Amino acid sequence: MSGRFIALAAVLLAGTLAAQKYTPPRTPDGQPDLQGVWTNVTITPLERPANLVGKQFFTPAEARQYEKDTVVRNNADRRDGGAQADLNRAYNDAWYDRGTKVVETLRTSLVIDPPDGRIPRKDQGAPAVPAGFGRPPEGPEDRSLPERCILWPTAGPPMMPSFYNNNYQIVQAPGYVTILVEMIHDARIIPIDSRPHVDSKIRAWLGDSRGHWEGNTLVVETTNFNDKTRFQRSSQNMKLVERFTRTAPDTVMYEFTVDDPSTFTKPWTAQIPMKKTDGPIIEYACNEGNYAMEGMLAGARADEKKAAGR
Amino acid sequence: MRKKLAMSLGIAGLLMAAAPMWAHHAFAAEFDAQRPVKLRGTVVKVEFINPHSWIHMDVKEADGKVTRWMVEGGSPNALFRRGVTKDALPQGTEISVDGYQAKDGSNRANGRDITFADGKKLFVGGSNPDEQPNAK
Repeated sequence: MSGRFIALAAVLLAGTLAAQKYTPPRTPDGQPDLQGVWTNVTITPLERPANLVGKQFFTPAEARQYEKDTVVRNNADRRDGGAQADLNRAYNDAWYDRGTKVVETLRTSLVIDPPDGRIPRKDQGAPAVPAGFGRPPEGPEDRSLPERCILWPTAGPPMMPSFYNNNYQIVQAPGYVTILVEMIHDARIIPIDSRPHVDSKIRAWLGDSRGHWEGNTLVVETTNFNDKTRFQRSSQNMKLVERFTRTAPDTVMYEFTVDDPSTFTKPWTAQIPMKKTDGPIIEYACNEGNYAMEGMLAGARADEKKAAGR
Repeated sequence: MRKKLAMSLGIAGLLMAAAPMWAHHAFAAEFDAQRPVKLRGTVVKVEFINPHSWIHMDVKEADGKVTRWMVEGGSPNALFRRGVTKDALPQGTEISVDGYQAKDGSNRANGRDITFADGKKLFVGGSNPDEQPNAK
């Protein structure tokens, strides 16, 4: 009974937070000011886990329990589970920065629509094996895009938390908003005017973004992705709409809607609060020290030798 | 009711613990789970670079021979943000590394568990449920 009451209170509180009237500061040229360094770090999963079906919000007590369990589960300092699991945890936990809290709305998934918190995939099967996995790589091009420092699947657009470097700097100038992403260190320059997207023949890893203001909300539409970006296994025709709203001095509420009829049965939306954090954004010069690429290719050659010797 | 949820969360946790984690790259492609190594030696050089840091160390074998090893860590960015720099590991520092050797047999290993000689963890300040170091 009391649990239910707390759950109801949490829902009401979340609604109040979203609806509260906060007037963001303005830039010198009069745009709502989104500038600063923000983090979207959270342990709330993108999709609602199977054991939380039907539960949109945690109660505060459930949230604390979930946080405790998740932090223990994620902790890379644990050494159980056998050698392979141990190796997959890679290195000590201090290198990671996965966060320790669920989102402040106490939602159980970042996906808020559909209400079941699940991505409405047409193909509910297992994810396709990413390029480079499942056969021995002959060169760097056979390894995955993140390993080649080209694209990080959560660095965006759209931007989602990962296990470290979840930091973003927003800079505004007349006619433009720029978002510097720490992971893989791309800077996305978004024109804020009514110019059309580039020709559909022109395709880009990060797509082509165009922004406009709807009241205090920055709305950014991105199209023209290439056929290798494949956010959540989408096609190059994916249309992405992101919404940035400063809802408090220390919060930009970030929502994104993904539309790709060939991959999803309907558009779906996720919501992630971005919280003010200390700068600066630290450089992530990924190719500078990617000795691991050489190590992985050497590993593949060693595997081949071993197989041939048997 | 709450107890039941906590229990089911706990069970989910156990199930998910078996799923591999995703570092910047697949560590299983580079290192061999069947070649665990324990290294004890002194720091020669630290490269705090992306996507992964590397600690170079000299390891004295039983016969007195010194072997140079390279030990792979994570992205240094999270450490920088917590105020940890290369100064935490000056040349000559004695460290112990528990890891897995490179598949090709070269003297490279992942720094699965790195500690100072006295057993203290090298970099303290990972996940703590009571604080979120990154948020203001």
